[in-house]
Amino acid sequence: MNWVQLLVLGLLLGSVYAMMASGLTLLFGVMRVVNLAHAAFILIASYITYLLFENLTLDPIVSLVITMPLMFGLGVIIYLVLFPRIEGSARYVEMTVLLTFGLALVVEGLLTFVFTGTFRSVRPDYVSTSIHVGDIFIPSNQLYASAVSFALLIGLWVLLRFTKTGTAIRATMQNRGAAQIVGVNVRRISAFAFGTGMALAGAAGSLLSFLFPFFPGKHWQWIALLLSLIVLGGMGSIKGAVIGALLLAIASAVVTDTFGPTWSPITFYLTLFLILLVRPQGLFGAKLRL
Amino acid sequence: MTHETEKLDTTDIPVVDQVDADVVPQRPDRAEGVISRRVALGLVVALILLFPVIAIPVFSSYAYVMQIGMLTLMWISMSSSWNIIGGFAGYISLGHGVFYAIGGYSAGLALAHWGISPFLFLPVAGLAAMAVGLLAGLITLRTRGPAFIVATIAMLFLFLLWFDNWEFIGASSGLDLPLVDIPVRWLKVPFYYAMALSAIGAVYLSYRIAHSKFGLGLRAISEDETKAEVAGINTRWYKVIAFSLSAYFIGTAGAVYGYSLTHLRPLTFFAIAVAARMVLMSIIGGRGTVAGPVVGAILIVGVNEFSVRQFGQTELNIVVTGAILVAALLFFPQGIVGSLRKSGRLPAFLDWD
Amino acid sequence: MALLEIEDVVAGYGAGPDILTGVTLSIDEGTSYCIVGPNGAGKSTLLRTIAGILKPRAGEVRLDGTRMNGSRPDQMLAAGVCFVPQDASLFPTMTVRENLVMGGYLLGDRVLKRQRLEMVFETFPALADRKSQNAGTLSGGEQQMVTLGRSLMVEPKVVMIDEPSLGLAPMIADQIFEKIGGFRELGITVVLVEQNAVKGLESVDWGFVLDLGSKEFEGPADGILADPRIRELYLGKQLAPRERR
Repeated sequence: MNWVQLLVLGLLLGSVYAMMASGLTLLFGVMRVVNLAHAAFILIASYITYLLFENLTLDPIVSLVITMPLMFGLGVIIYLVLFPRIEGSARYVEMTVLLTFGLALVVEGLLTFVFTGTFRSVRPDYVSTSIHVGDIFIPSNQLYASAVSFALLIGLWVLLRFTKTGTAIRATMQNRGAAQIVGVNVRRISAFAFGTGMALAGAAGSLLSFLFPFFPGKHWQWIALLLSLIVLGGMGSIKGAVIGALLLAIASAVVTDTFGPTWSPITFYLTLFLILLVRPQGLFGAKLRL
Repeated sequence: MTHETEKLDTTDIPVVDQVDADVVPQRPDRAEGVISRRVALGLVVALILLFPVIAIPVFSSYAYVMQIGMLTLMWISMSSSWNIIGGFAGYISLGHGVFYAIGGYSAGLALAHWGISPFLFLPVAGLAAMAVGLLAGLITLRTRGPAFIVATIAMLFLFLLWFDNWEFIGASSGLDLPLVDIPVRWLKVPFYYAMALSAIGAVYLSYRIAHSKFGLGLRAISEDETKAEVAGINTRWYKVIAFSLSAYFIGTAGAVYGYSLTHLRPLTFFAIAVAARMVLMSIIGGRGTVAGPVVGAILIVGVNEFSVRQFGQTELNIVVTGAILVAALLFFPQGIVGSLRKSGRLPAFLDWD
Repeated sequence: MALLEIEDVVAGYGAGPDILTGVTLSIDEGTSYCIVGPNGAGKSTLLRTIAGILKPRAGEVRLDGTRMNGSRPDQMLAAGVCFVPQDASLFPTMTVRENLVMGGYLLGDRVLKRQRLEMVFETFPALADRKSQNAGTLSGGEQQMVTLGRSLMVEPKVVMIDEPSLGLAPMIADQIFEKIGGFRELGITVVLVEQNAVKGLESVDWGFVLDLGSKEFEGPADGILADPRIRELYLGKQLAPRERR
């Protein structure tokens, strides 16, 4: 395959990854939560999208309107129920890893119980069409998913940059103690940020549902991918996560093209491993010790 | 005035002293306690060894009882081993499934290719796991805290991907092993004893580490790694060696279990639920204690058997595992042994460290 | 009635022991205070408890006679109690101006925010020159000025400042103390915690001596400085160099 084609495919998928990773990195940035259940929550949204499509033939992109608020609410509830309890415990970050690991198992088990372990996919008309520009082709589903992701990333940027809540989120990410001192209600901001991260997971779930077939155990692949993206970008840095996502998506497109699709995930695991080896703090985020 | 100065000075250099003070468990000397503990441990070992004989009257479901016994011993072996790095040193690994697989596959390959019985190959399987643990530890232990956890997950998936695509070991479809030539009813007994060896070895290792200077160093690392470093502990090698040692009896457990299945598939060993159980058992029993992982293993195997009988062999079992983990972390982070000790109600026969 | 009353307050961190074992003191409007005492006496813990970052385990915190126990930090700030922690707690990748604006987070009124910002730049002209610079790139003294300036954004009744001279060169520390002295003209009551007891006490009216989690002594600041017994018992080591001078 020619390089331009690989680059285009990598960038299309990369923007979806970037949107997914920005949600995960937001959770880490604001609350120091390493959410191992993030991809499991993404899958919940995929299955909701699947149900809506099968039963009501609701277009998966339209179903974002449902999955995003739903996951926002779920996020706020999960945050309020689980995290105040472990706040201030000695090994808080590790606790969040184990806690969300447990959550991921619960979600995986429930999804398998309800939907069984078989592969599902959502197939609106545009999964089988594509657009040709010169000698490169662009699959319609990837184009749409990429456009939606891009719009959501812009939305996130506007939220963080230009709203009062967004400013409070950024302040909390930079210095939780200082944010508290200037009068930010950090718990409410954290709940909101958790909800926002989860809403992005909801959007990701709806988009992934028509990009790749999925089954309940698949979230381990996704979480490994997402973690490698945000570790590459420096945990807690949204800009880093976006750059990491684009780079790795292109790298994985090249690996797939050269060695076959079986080896595509190795790009992510190996990168994750190598980065932790060389620079445990990631490429961009120098300030956080992980 | 001079007195005052002295007092202030000592508060400035407590780093070295404090590590020891923080770490040495404050326990009154009780000669009686030691004796009753020895007796209790002796009884437990005797019970384990005689169990297959005691269980003979349960003739109708003898194989099932032996299977449960073997599984319990396997999980004791695994959680006690995991606890060496995850409990004593405080480095939570979700990648220990790798050593389980190395043990299982090395013994399986030795049997399939050279005809060596896995029972004889056991020590070598442990060494193989330990060697891989040494290498993996050298790499993953460059990180700390959550980054370490993430690194171990990456390690697990890397190995899974490799094993899934490695034709020599049968790739994802697996490796078939010849069956042991014993009447079905007694089939489980040799596996039981091999597993008992692994479990007793693991607990003994854990006990010896807990009572050594090395173990003290690991606890210091878990309390405050920087202070431990300042106190002159070579934290890097302490951690790597602990990681490597923790792989040994997971490897032997994998070797016995793999042989008992007669068919090795990567996912049997690498499943994240396997890693999850080791962590769960240690936490619920009491991370960082010798008895904790044993108690946790017995409890979780019991709960698991119960939920399998209740709900059948469904995915609800994984829900139960996850839910117990969440609940334990929220309400019971010190685990059974840890909580009992804190409230001073730990029975002497469980006070192993 | 005193502006801020602390009565038998007991507090500590997490499940740890009590750091404050029962502190009683009262703060009057228009007077300035300094809390001194040895390391670990509970000085910072006291400020954190009043600020609402720590919840008192027992006792009462009253502001203008209203019980404030269990108020969150943002509620305490809205009520007029501002806390300046000791590590120059800033938003490192925001500019000086953004940091100051964050100080006015609770203000709804934009015009008011702008007015206050100008007022802060008048009080701290050095900051006006650096307003577009990231706060993380400032020197220690400048960072301390940003946190002080930030506290002025809400026009608080009380500003509690924890160790303003920590890690600063003596000359810079003097400048900071001078600025803090100026707070009084703005009608702000200052409560200082200082490791450097002499400097702290010299710049205020009234002193509290805290030890082992409770108040041991209080009195006019110059009186405390002059009392040889207190100096020996609680401030001994720090005063030594000065005595020789």
